[in-house]
Amino acid sequence: MGGLIMKTLNKILISFSAITICLTLLCTADLQAQKKLQNSPGGYHGEMDFPISWKQYYGYEEWTQIMKDIAKKYPKLAAVESIGKSRMGRDQYLITITNRKTGAAEDKTAMWVDGAVHGNEVNGITCSLYLMWYLLTRYDYDTYVYDLVNNSTFYILPGLNVDANDSYVSFPNTPHNPREPYRPEDNDGDGLYDEDQTEDVDGDGELSSMYIEDLKGSLKLSEDKRRFVSVEDDTYPGLRFKRLGSEGFDNDGDGRINEDDIGGPDPNRNYPYGWNMAAGNPYPMSEPCTRNAYEFHLAHPNIFATFHYHNTGRLIMFQVPQPVKASTAQQSQASGQYSMMGRRGMTAEQRLEQMRKENKYAQYFDRKVPREFQHDMDVQTNIVTMGARILKNYRPTMGGLSGQTAASTYNMLGAYSYLIELWGTPTFDIDINNDGRASEDEYMQWIDIEMTGEGWITPHKFNHPDLGEIWIGGSAKKHMSRTPPDRYIESEADRNAKFVMYCASQFPKVEITDITSTDLGDGLFWVDVTVENERTYPTASDRTKKLKLYDKDVLKFSSSKGVSLIKLDAKLPIQDPYQSSGGFFGFRGGGSRSSLSPGTAEETKLWVNGKDKKVYRYLISKSGGKNWVEVEISSERGGNHKMRVEL
Amino acid sequence: MISQKTFIRRFLFLSCIFLSLGALEIASAQKVPISFDQFHGYTGTEKYLKSVAKAYPEITELKIIGQSEMGRQIYVLVVSNRSIGTSLDRFVQLQNKRKENVRNVNPMENHQTKPGQWICASTHGNEYTGTEVCLYIIDKLLAGYETDDDLTDIVNNQSFYICPIVNPDGVYNSVEKGIPQRSNSLLKDDDGDGKINEDGPDDLNGDGVITWFRYKDKKGRYVIDDQDPRVMVRASRNAKTEKERWSMILEDKDNDGDGKYGEDGESGFDLNRNFPEGWFTKDGYQGGTGKYPTSAPETRALAEFFTNHKNIHQAQFLHTSGGFTYRPMGSSGDNSMHPNDIAVYDYILGKKYVEIMGADVPKAWLYPDSLSAYKKELAEKSKNKYAIKRGYELPRTWKVSYNEQQNKGYGYGLQADWAYMQEGVFSLTTELFNYRTDLPGHKFEGKNAYAEYQRAAIKYQEDNFGGKLFKEWKSFKHPKYGEGEIGGWLPQYGSNNPFPGEALLKICENHWQFEKFRAKLMPRVAIVSASGKVLDKVGKYKIVEVTAKVENTGQLATHLGNGAKLAMNRVDVVWLIGQRDKLTFLQGATWQKVGVLGGKAKIPTQSKGKNSAEVKWIVKVQGNTALKVVLSSQKGGTVVKDVDIK
Repeated sequence: MGGLIMKTLNKILISFSAITICLTLLCTADLQAQKKLQNSPGGYHGEMDFPISWKQYYGYEEWTQIMKDIAKKYPKLAAVESIGKSRMGRDQYLITITNRKTGAAEDKTAMWVDGAVHGNEVNGITCSLYLMWYLLTRYDYDTYVYDLVNNSTFYILPGLNVDANDSYVSFPNTPHNPREPYRPEDNDGDGLYDEDQTEDVDGDGELSSMYIEDLKGSLKLSEDKRRFVSVEDDTYPGLRFKRLGSEGFDNDGDGRINEDDIGGPDPNRNYPYGWNMAAGNPYPMSEPCTRNAYEFHLAHPNIFATFHYHNTGRLIMFQVPQPVKASTAQQSQASGQYSMMGRRGMTAEQRLEQMRKENKYAQYFDRKVPREFQHDMDVQTNIVTMGARILKNYRPTMGGLSGQTAASTYNMLGAYSYLIELWGTPTFDIDINNDGRASEDEYMQWIDIEMTGEGWITPHKFNHPDLGEIWIGGSAKKHMSRTPPDRYIESEADRNAKFVMYCASQFPKVEITDITSTDLGDGLFWVDVTVENERTYPTASDRTKKLKLYDKDVLKFSSSKGVSLIKLDAKLPIQDPYQSSGGFFGFRGGGSRSSLSPGTAEETKLWVNGKDKKVYRYLISKSGGKNWVEVEISSERGGNHKMRVEL
Repeated sequence: MISQKTFIRRFLFLSCIFLSLGALEIASAQKVPISFDQFHGYTGTEKYLKSVAKAYPEITELKIIGQSEMGRQIYVLVVSNRSIGTSLDRFVQLQNKRKENVRNVNPMENHQTKPGQWICASTHGNEYTGTEVCLYIIDKLLAGYETDDDLTDIVNNQSFYICPIVNPDGVYNSVEKGIPQRSNSLLKDDDGDGKINEDGPDDLNGDGVITWFRYKDKKGRYVIDDQDPRVMVRASRNAKTEKERWSMILEDKDNDGDGKYGEDGESGFDLNRNFPEGWFTKDGYQGGTGKYPTSAPETRALAEFFTNHKNIHQAQFLHTSGGFTYRPMGSSGDNSMHPNDIAVYDYILGKKYVEIMGADVPKAWLYPDSLSAYKKELAEKSKNKYAIKRGYELPRTWKVSYNEQQNKGYGYGLQADWAYMQEGVFSLTTELFNYRTDLPGHKFEGKNAYAEYQRAAIKYQEDNFGGKLFKEWKSFKHPKYGEGEIGGWLPQYGSNNPFPGEALLKICENHWQFEKFRAKLMPRVAIVSASGKVLDKVGKYKIVEVTAKVENTGQLATHLGNGAKLAMNRVDVVWLIGQRDKLTFLQGATWQKVGVLGGKAKIPTQSKGKNSAEVKWIVKVQGNTALKVVLSSQKGGTVVKDVDIK
């Protein structure tokens, strides 16, 4: 074989550059360039083209009007539709964002974002709206946004649980209610439904706590008379109190207050996967608002990844494959990519410590998954590592099942899914003694200084019709804990929008990056074709492969008449002396993920992983003068790309 | 596809035949006469239900609980005296309500406050015998109201929810169009050619009906019967036979010219695998049908109805065929059930059903006192660990679909499993019609029973239906399969449903008897006494000790074994009601739990729960303020009584 001379011939004469199809479309005058392109980080990026105040929360009528108005302003990029009606008859409005000139929304790989499946977690609405606004207003100015909106689709449903969402913003409520859709439920088992709800007893527009004077009470007023604090000394002679609970009346006269509040099942336990009756009753997808959202997803298989906004906790709860069954799991053995780095025998904590020396956002999750799901595990780890960086003080953690939205998204539809617990106590502003905690005193100082005195309800007396003289107050107002106060809304939304956009930027994009040929003499040639996906996401998740939801990607070999393809055997190893010195590692391991696969037919079906590089080796015979071969990769989610070389 | 006109012609024609047979059943003395000498199908059922609801507004109400994919209504006929009944929400006055005033709770209707019995049929569209049973039951209830004391009492104080057709599209296609369709309909492009439902079965030879095409085929699953060449006898692929093999398919054209026949009809998926109980496999993948449990509009309609009618205590899901009843469970074994429920199912419901069907009642059910002896006996001869634990094997007419021998589930997402496990209802799946016993004047046994039935059935329809239900085979050249013959049964007949008339009536009557028996088992709560004793008088106030004695006068407990623990369920409660500003509770809460009140029926092997309770309050009342006691049970009813203060 030594007689063979390897020659790299005619490297890429004609190369159809990236995103062939898109490029042809982009040639239309409309899209030639961004006319208002802004490169300066200090320059104008379109914020005032459609001004929205990010210093307040919006009721249903307001935020749906904003959606309709912005869609009117950007008709080529946005469209608003109702995906169905809620239990109380409100339309669930969804905005679809993509440049329709570069392809229909349903033909592009898509991101789904929903906010506030829990009624009170309306920060998800502002974050969703912000993403919408950012994509639309910056489109003309920002190349990153421009590419995203041209090449992918965003389906954004700002408020999922619209009935409770509107109530939370528009009426007096505690930070915790209303949370569920309005299916009637008999919480106390007295035979009546939702009959004893919370009320703003003193009519001050806030839903605070009620206290009653009690000689043996465990609480007293703080020195500044703004809070109820524990009585330390049991002989304390002053005024003492007992906490009664949230503001409300005894509506049904049973001696209890607020014991049967409005709301049925937890909507984030109402999805089919891992559903259980106790939490997600009465049956999976029983609530119009959850069902409409899920039906939309079912009807749009182009949805590749999903975000579901919640409050609070600053968490990135991402869906990962289920672990291998305990009996077969080798807990001590490192899993996945990490084991390839050869650092066995360390605990998860040790591993993480090691990794964080290089990257303080590094993530490692101690979960061994079945081999066929390892790529999903790796992809998710990579994505949330970046999420930790973009969102700063958010902690990635593996999500659960139990009928949660994200669990069904991943396990039943195969889309990569993320539940974001937005916001949390702003310790970074509150803590002044650097112990990493927000003490009550520090909190009150924060109210006075950063919050300029806003946000607190001072205790005051009130004559309650059921209870007589009571005290009301001593608590923060709505939008002070569950949902961030005005000044923090935009910063929270901005980081989260960037994370969603980052994920969309990692949607798969397949390319033929190289075609080289090697003359074997006697008119025979090896033609090596490199298929690459530089993005983090594969063309299909491991879960979609298992669920058989998608067709494989297709690699097509074509050539001029003088070239004939000799079909190789799929299993036999290719004899190639020039690769033997590299040995097994040359193609199988050693950092480069490439592998040499024999080209067995004109059409090859394959999956392309994230950050994947595959080399297909075709054997051809050539006769006559000028000849060419062309290879095209087409992937439903990774796009199409082809390359031709003259031989 | 057959034109509308042809349908009508065919129906008029068939109707004439049926009418000529004479009235098989003299309709009871009621306002909407009904006969069972033909299948009602969707159209006939809808018409009957509407007529009944119009003629009996005092005791019926027709509700639409959903819509099929093709836009047909799913009806439930409520049979219950509409003016009788009371509910707790009418007595409790709510004060200082939240200003937002969301109107998400509807006032309770009378029928929702009485023990409910759900009877439905035709979840599988081609199993329409059950629809007839439903209509028969409606007829009997209406006829019995105010003429039969028992039935009057039941219609006054209980609620029947009768849903004759769960799967309207399946029934319409099976009966009206003559295209057998077990599944629901889906507007779906089955073959991926961009067109929806463009190629279903058709009338190939233009005789106005879709029958069968039979042709010689080495891989065929049929052979022609020796005695009657019209009869096709099944021959499994592996069975050795000297005879020529035939295949048999529904008449069908290649409507869209793609070379395939019937590849994209209306048929969707099996609704009886789309319920939330046991829908997933153990590995976390789809086991049942549909995109998710309750994804079908028909399934969801049922789930939503049960959710809003927690008074349903018993449920019947009628199917065909086999001539037996499956009691739960199908997706798991007896160990997933409460032992008390198993005892009610077998010793009470099962025993009666087996008796009605004329089969042998297991000895253990007759002599439960000797159970330990039966257990010992079974332990020696049976390999069924469930049977050994129970002390009896389940008889053929009353069984579980779960494979007890092999410990294997019957299917995923079954409706009766769901109703039992998640709704806490005594649910049953009855497979109506047994060809071995249900052809009038015949009994078929042994391995040739089916062929014998077929011969006799052809003869039967010649004698009773003028031979119009079976088409003689006539040669036909099929565009794809070549030479063969078209003929055989009109798909509505000769297969898994009985002949209308005598055979159908026998089935209707048996199952009416059984459902009537079930109706009499219902729990029914009562306030035996409500009295007040004045302990003291202080100015304009009286201090009164109120005592209420409550009881379940029905046969079964107000909940199943685990019923009260299910989400959305609760135990029975008693409220003391009075004008709020004139009543102060000193001892005893406004409402008190009395637990699940047991029934009067003796349930073998199980201890009887307490069927009565006493509740006390000490209250301060102003002047002569009236007090009432309300007892509210989800499945046992709601009753009210004035407190007699002395």
